[in-house]
Amino acid sequence: MRLPRFDYLEPENLKGALDLLSTHRDDAKILAGGTDLLVRMKKGLLKPKVLISLKALNELSYINEKNGYIKIGARTPIADIVASGLIKEEAHALFQACEKIGAVTIQHYRGTIGGNILQDNRCHHYNQSEFHRSGHQPCHKDGGKICYAREEADRCNSTCQSDGATALMALDAKITLSKINGERTVDLADFYTTDGIMPFAMESHELLKEIIIPVQIAESAYQRLAYRSAIDYPIVCAGVLLKRSDTQKNEIDDARIVVGAMGRSPLFLAQASFSLKGKKLNDTNAFKKAADASMDNASTFAVHNVGSTLEYRCAMVSQMVFQALKEAAQAAVAAKG
Amino acid sequence: MSDYTIIGKRMPRVDSRAKVMGKAKFTADLKLPGMLVGKIKRSPYAHARILNIDTSKAEALPGVKAVVTGKDTEGVKWGVFAYTRDQQFIQIEKVRYIGDEVAGVAAVDKETALKALDLIEVTYEELPAVFDPMEAMASETDLIHEDFPNNINIHVNIDTGNVDENFAKAHYIREDTYVAPEESYFQAEPYAVVARFDHEDCLEVWMPNGGPHMKSKPLSNAFKIPLHKVKVRKIAIGGAFGGRSEICPVDYICALLAKKTKRPVRIQFTREENTIGTRQGHAMITTHKTGVDKKGRVLARETTCYMDGGAYSSTGPIATSVPFLSMEQAYRMESVRYNGYRIYTNKPIRGMIRTHGRGFACGLDTQLDMIADHLGIDPVEMRLRNSRQPGEYTSTKSYVDSCAMDETIHKAVEKSGFKKKWGKLPPYHGIGIGTNSVQTGFPMGIRGGSQSFIKFNEDGEATVMSGVVDNGQGNDNMLIQIAAEELGLLPEDIHLVSADTETTSSDPGSYSQVSTFVGGHAVKIAAQNCREKLFKVASKVLKVEPDKLAAKNRLIFIKDDPEKSIPIRKVVRISLLNFNSVNAEGGYWPRVDMKREWVKNPYGQMCEAFSFGTTIVEVKVDPDTGQVKVLEATAAQDVGYALNPLVLEGQFEGSIAMGGQGGMLTEYHEWKDGRCINPTMLDYKLPLACDMPPKINNIIVESVDPKGPYGAKEAGMSIAMSAAQGYSAAVSNAIGVYMDSFPLTPDKILAAIKKKNHK
Amino acid sequence: MEKIEITLNINDKPCEVRVFPNDTLLEVLRDELDLTGSKESCGEGVCGSCTVHMDEKPVRACLTLAMEATGTRIKTVEGLANGDDLSDLQQSFIDHGAVQCGFCTPGMLMSADALLNENPKPDEKTVRMALAGNICRCTGYAKIVEAVGHAGNPQDHCPDCKTKE
Repeated sequence: MRLPRFDYLEPENLKGALDLLSTHRDDAKILAGGTDLLVRMKKGLLKPKVLISLKALNELSYINEKNGYIKIGARTPIADIVASGLIKEEAHALFQACEKIGAVTIQHYRGTIGGNILQDNRCHHYNQSEFHRSGHQPCHKDGGKICYAREEADRCNSTCQSDGATALMALDAKITLSKINGERTVDLADFYTTDGIMPFAMESHELLKEIIIPVQIAESAYQRLAYRSAIDYPIVCAGVLLKRSDTQKNEIDDARIVVGAMGRSPLFLAQASFSLKGKKLNDTNAFKKAADASMDNASTFAVHNVGSTLEYRCAMVSQMVFQALKEAAQAAVAAKG
Repeated sequence: MSDYTIIGKRMPRVDSRAKVMGKAKFTADLKLPGMLVGKIKRSPYAHARILNIDTSKAEALPGVKAVVTGKDTEGVKWGVFAYTRDQQFIQIEKVRYIGDEVAGVAAVDKETALKALDLIEVTYEELPAVFDPMEAMASETDLIHEDFPNNINIHVNIDTGNVDENFAKAHYIREDTYVAPEESYFQAEPYAVVARFDHEDCLEVWMPNGGPHMKSKPLSNAFKIPLHKVKVRKIAIGGAFGGRSEICPVDYICALLAKKTKRPVRIQFTREENTIGTRQGHAMITTHKTGVDKKGRVLARETTCYMDGGAYSSTGPIATSVPFLSMEQAYRMESVRYNGYRIYTNKPIRGMIRTHGRGFACGLDTQLDMIADHLGIDPVEMRLRNSRQPGEYTSTKSYVDSCAMDETIHKAVEKSGFKKKWGKLPPYHGIGIGTNSVQTGFPMGIRGGSQSFIKFNEDGEATVMSGVVDNGQGNDNMLIQIAAEELGLLPEDIHLVSADTETTSSDPGSYSQVSTFVGGHAVKIAAQNCREKLFKVASKVLKVEPDKLAAKNRLIFIKDDPEKSIPIRKVVRISLLNFNSVNAEGGYWPRVDMKREWVKNPYGQMCEAFSFGTTIVEVKVDPDTGQVKVLEATAAQDVGYALNPLVLEGQFEGSIAMGGQGGMLTEYHEWKDGRCINPTMLDYKLPLACDMPPKINNIIVESVDPKGPYGAKEAGMSIAMSAAQGYSAAVSNAIGVYMDSFPLTPDKILAAIKKKNHK
Repeated sequence: MEKIEITLNINDKPCEVRVFPNDTLLEVLRDELDLTGSKESCGEGVCGSCTVHMDEKPVRACLTLAMEATGTRIKTVEGLANGDDLSDLQQSFIDHGAVQCGFCTPGMLMSADALLNENPKPDEKTVRMALAGNICRCTGYAKIVEAVGHAGNPQDHCPDCKTKE
């Protein structure tokens, strides 16, 4: 497969990159690890005129903790996150999610956390070669008016299969977006448009600079299902965060349940999360109920477009959430000392 | 123990060194002076009439050297058999599947060639397409090929014994239907072709193939040039698994482009093209009706199988028969009726694949287990009561000489601890057994034999010429081992010239498990003939009769007095000084029934030997997710004789991966209106190193076939099939539900568990 | 669009080559530099047949732009042996029958080589994980896993380990 033509630009620093972005805007794409972008380009799904490589931007590769926040540079390789004791301790769900991206020894050196968050939504009718797509009407995401995953759907139902984003949303992360004359920090949960065609609320001259995770007295866990043990996107995944009550040590003060690979973005399930407030850490019944509620909520978003069967994936939401909750609760009990 | 020097030893393969250094050349690695890049324009429609093809814009593009369409062809239709010639190499009137070839271009580089494809304007009129074989067969009017009513491409009917009478006598009868979708080869090397016409207008061509001679003949027909003018060259091949046996339209198109441009052309498939534009495995719907006596012995069986053949015949008659043949070889049946239908649909072309008929075979074994269950017999006993025995005839009258089926069962049972585990494992933990048999060769008429030539060089080393091709399974090494053993040389003294149609004689190819049995045999005979000449000369020097001599380690010596010896190199030189070169020929033609024909007369000797295999698998199923974890797989095969245990084990292990782990758990194709949804390695789930069972036990069983070279038959194929059966049996056992839809993906397993628990 | 002249450091040798920005490292290795050991099998970063080292780490050459490879040290399968002397890993692949068709072998070796450089005596599970990004259709991986585990680390129980003199 041949990449379409483009100009390759290699800015020396963040400012240079932002300058180039503001000049080229929609014509440009940011190249970090290339593990998602270049595949899409090879399939003719996008043909940017300019690629702006982050190769020289070591300033965007870091993991540190300051004032109660973990900060991760967007260009930090997945391998560094998996190797980080800090992430494993304080943002365990992210560690677990990153471990599952691609194959440990390969994609992790090139693939970056920013790239994982910004990996485009997927659909097995859309992520196909130009030849495959040529014989039928283009789908919504491909510039047309048809959805092959859900009959008569008036919009795109592509699925966000990012492991990292699901874990990060569970961890209540924020992201910082930079542009030439400023930057903004938003909750990751607010970063999504619910539009499968352009899933991210981001302007073409903005660059994902940093991920910020609040350090909390809480435990997190991430679970996912795929066909294979590596080089596979999740067909369903769940990230959870359980915060213990300061006063009642056995009690859950706050919970976050996020389900991934089921909708156009990772789905924060407020109702299911809220149902755990005040519940005991060993209340598996409550976990089961929350997991089932997650399944009911998440199922309404999903379509059959990323492998396996829809029925199976929906059923597995409950399993993934339940297992993640149990795992996080066990960690919380263990951490109690 | 044998007293062979090289045969039977764990010998690392001679081709490995070049491969680990990255020096081995595969077709896509070839670079010839002036070589152009070829690309294929394919139909994006499943069924459509071609109204017009306008190539003018493509031809005008700078850098484009040639564009070819159906008009440039001689109109020859391809088919493996005279009655299956249904495929043009480039379509002229209509296209029948998404991927059908409509044009080819040759250009100076990939980018230009791809651009040219876009500039070829094809006007189509879409026709109603059919993707379901049962629907296709029901249709009287919507025909994919005009001369095949009801879209039935092939119907094989076999009827032996008194089926109806025996059903009437049966103690217990079951009828069950089993389904399995398409699977694919996913050879590591995507298909590629390099072609050029030389200064004498000979076509020289390189491509991965399952038999170079099976490529040269159709090319000579298509170009209407003499056979000797088509020179299929040897090249490293990145896997075949049955899928590269016959001609591929692109072989022809590449050669046509080379002819038109008078330059070498290389076409390299994308992974997607390799999946949809070569061959796939057939989807099958199989109904087995089996009647047994009180002891579980099969009295009567009636099997009906509908195979989705895709758009063209390919190896249709063979494909329609082989799942039945494997069954009739593996199991005794007093009477059997088989109706196999291969049906055209508007989907990619289906051919033979290593695990051809997984649904058929797994269904049969599942049903045996169900019957055993009903009769209160364990699955092992059930198989032993029906297993093929040596000295018997199959239902279609093939004599089975060597057969150690029972030994494979006993040994696998013992190694796996089956008896201790059966019925005693905790819930969702299961064990299962599968048994199968594979034929060593097909009746191939004048192409059924192989011939080898050996010449000695003055340095005492030998060159062996053989038509046998190595697809990656180690055939080159096999030939060298045999030649070295017989000639008394070391493997490094043997130089192989093989798989080249100019210099080697016809050979049936590697895809019917026949390379060792026929091709290896020919080399053995040639080497023995050559050795005889050496002994004749040596006997004069050593002053003993030739029959008192033996050869080993580059020496010819007196058997009873090994100290008395002469170097082979010296014998060669003496011979040359006496005006005699040292060379020989040898050939082997299996004595099959030449009247046997796949459709018209499916009775008589099929091939000379059959392999038999048993696989036992132990699994754990997660009842919450339906995910399967394979704990251990035990593979036992009657290979006849193991020429190289190291290579055989590799075949067994690969068979477990392809037949069992992939074939029964994760591999299948998904479709949307004839469009393959998962043609890539991301979406088609091939097993990885960490998916495989942590332990595979290999058990080599040797029945020493009286006709096979050193007693050898074939290695690995009956494991690939029995692995699928063993995997499915183990999962069924673990969840307590007999599964009837393969492969056993977690969604199906979970649904079965839920259904069972709700009862 | 113009070709751009770049210098790549491949197997410890500087290689001057003219590339288009959309040339992948794999295309340049194979088409421009005749280093055809690295194979293209899937073209989308899944199968691992094109795995090479970039600054000692395994990466997919099919998803790496040639331009991105400037200023890094690239090692390909052709750089594993020292002239005609095979590395322990290469020899182990031969001795253990880990090579069948050989198409995945170069990528497999590069992943394994990177592992062994970090961990010369990996256990079986570690080997399997390290090879998780390389698809082999022939072997079922058993002999490959053995070959990697026993490379330069011969095991007495293994009939295929040869002790090097």
